[in-house]
Amino acid sequence: MNGHYRAEPETALVVRPLDDIVLLYHRPSGQTHMVVSPVPEILEALCAGGDGDAAAVHDWLAQTHDLGPREQAISAIAAHLADMAAIGLVRAL
Amino acid sequence: MTLPLFQTHQIMLTIGPATFRIASAWRAPIDALERLYAAYPRPADAVADFTVRLEPAGRLRRWLRPSIFITGDHGLADAAPMSLAHGLLAAEMGMNLQMALGWRRHLLLHASSVEKDGQVLVMTGESGSGKSTLAAQLGERGWRLLGDEFALLDLVTGHVMPFPRLVSLKNRAVDVVAADVPAERMGPMLMGTAKGNIRHLVPRADAVARMGEGAPPAMLLFPRFGHETDVRAVGQGEIFMRLTQASTNYVALGEAGFDALTRFVATVPACAIDFPSGEAGMAMVEQLWAQRG
Repeated sequence: MNGHYRAEPETALVVRPLDDIVLLYHRPSGQTHMVVSPVPEILEALCAGGDGDAAAVHDWLAQTHDLGPREQAISAIAAHLADMAAIGLVRAL
Repeated sequence: MTLPLFQTHQIMLTIGPATFRIASAWRAPIDALERLYAAYPRPADAVADFTVRLEPAGRLRRWLRPSIFITGDHGLADAAPMSLAHGLLAAEMGMNLQMALGWRRHLLLHASSVEKDGQVLVMTGESGSGKSTLAAQLGERGWRLLGDEFALLDLVTGHVMPFPRLVSLKNRAVDVVAADVPAERMGPMLMGTAKGNIRHLVPRADAVARMGEGAPPAMLLFPRFGHETDVRAVGQGEIFMRLTQASTNYVALGEAGFDALTRFVATVPACAIDFPSGEAGMAMVEQLWAQRG
């Protein structure tokens, strides 16, 4: 593991935004996850960029979002990526 | 050849989309079902979806302080035996249990539902929230009762399908509803059950005759009886979470359940209502229904 992650194939996740949360149905496990920002955005960034680390995700998101100080934001994204990998939403490389 | 230990009495019943065979070691619970479900289809030669068995809790318990053990296709290992005097309740609980644990053709929500104007109002909440009594009362006042216990959400159309079992009225609700209903539509008073005094109500004839007809859901309410009048908005995330908790087969249905439930949550307006009395509750429901989009 080198801090790099890859999005699951698009067919693995069904994404349904509701008014205050986003629902993710993970087909391989049959689990439903209720997530809020920034998890959907991180997933979107990984899907758009192929694989990458927290810095790459940060740089992609920073094009459209104000993420605050870079180092703090990267650290928060890295923690999210680790959590997401633990439940199978992204794959650690 | 194995002979059955006891002679059994039985009845076949169709309620909504499900057919039950209820077999009992005693005659009395079947007699009660025969009377109260007289207007329901009784397909003698059909293949039942579920079998419910009411058996003596022990060899002597058929005669000596008779105690019923509920079993069937699906059972709970630690279910407590019930008194024969509560045999009708045991049969009803047995049918509920089979549906809750075994039904896969619809997304099953622990909710009451009533229909008017070709659209359905769904009400969900904990036991004691008033959802069952409210549905029973609305069912006597211009609404069609679809069910007081389970709302069946069609996985393809998203419609709510009826499952109009007997309505189980508890404690204070018994007198309130019985005052509006002819005696022949009321079951015997079952005193001192685990949930207090219970009396069953036979749904109106139109609810039974039209139990194959579903309709699209148009409103979801989270009722709470016994509080000052209040109406609160509920976010879709909380609604989704509460409905997954209110469903006994959401996980088992996989993606089909996810699709059905997310469609329901995204399209059906919802709110929580508090009301101090049945009359106040019905007035709130009528007002919210008139204002629905």
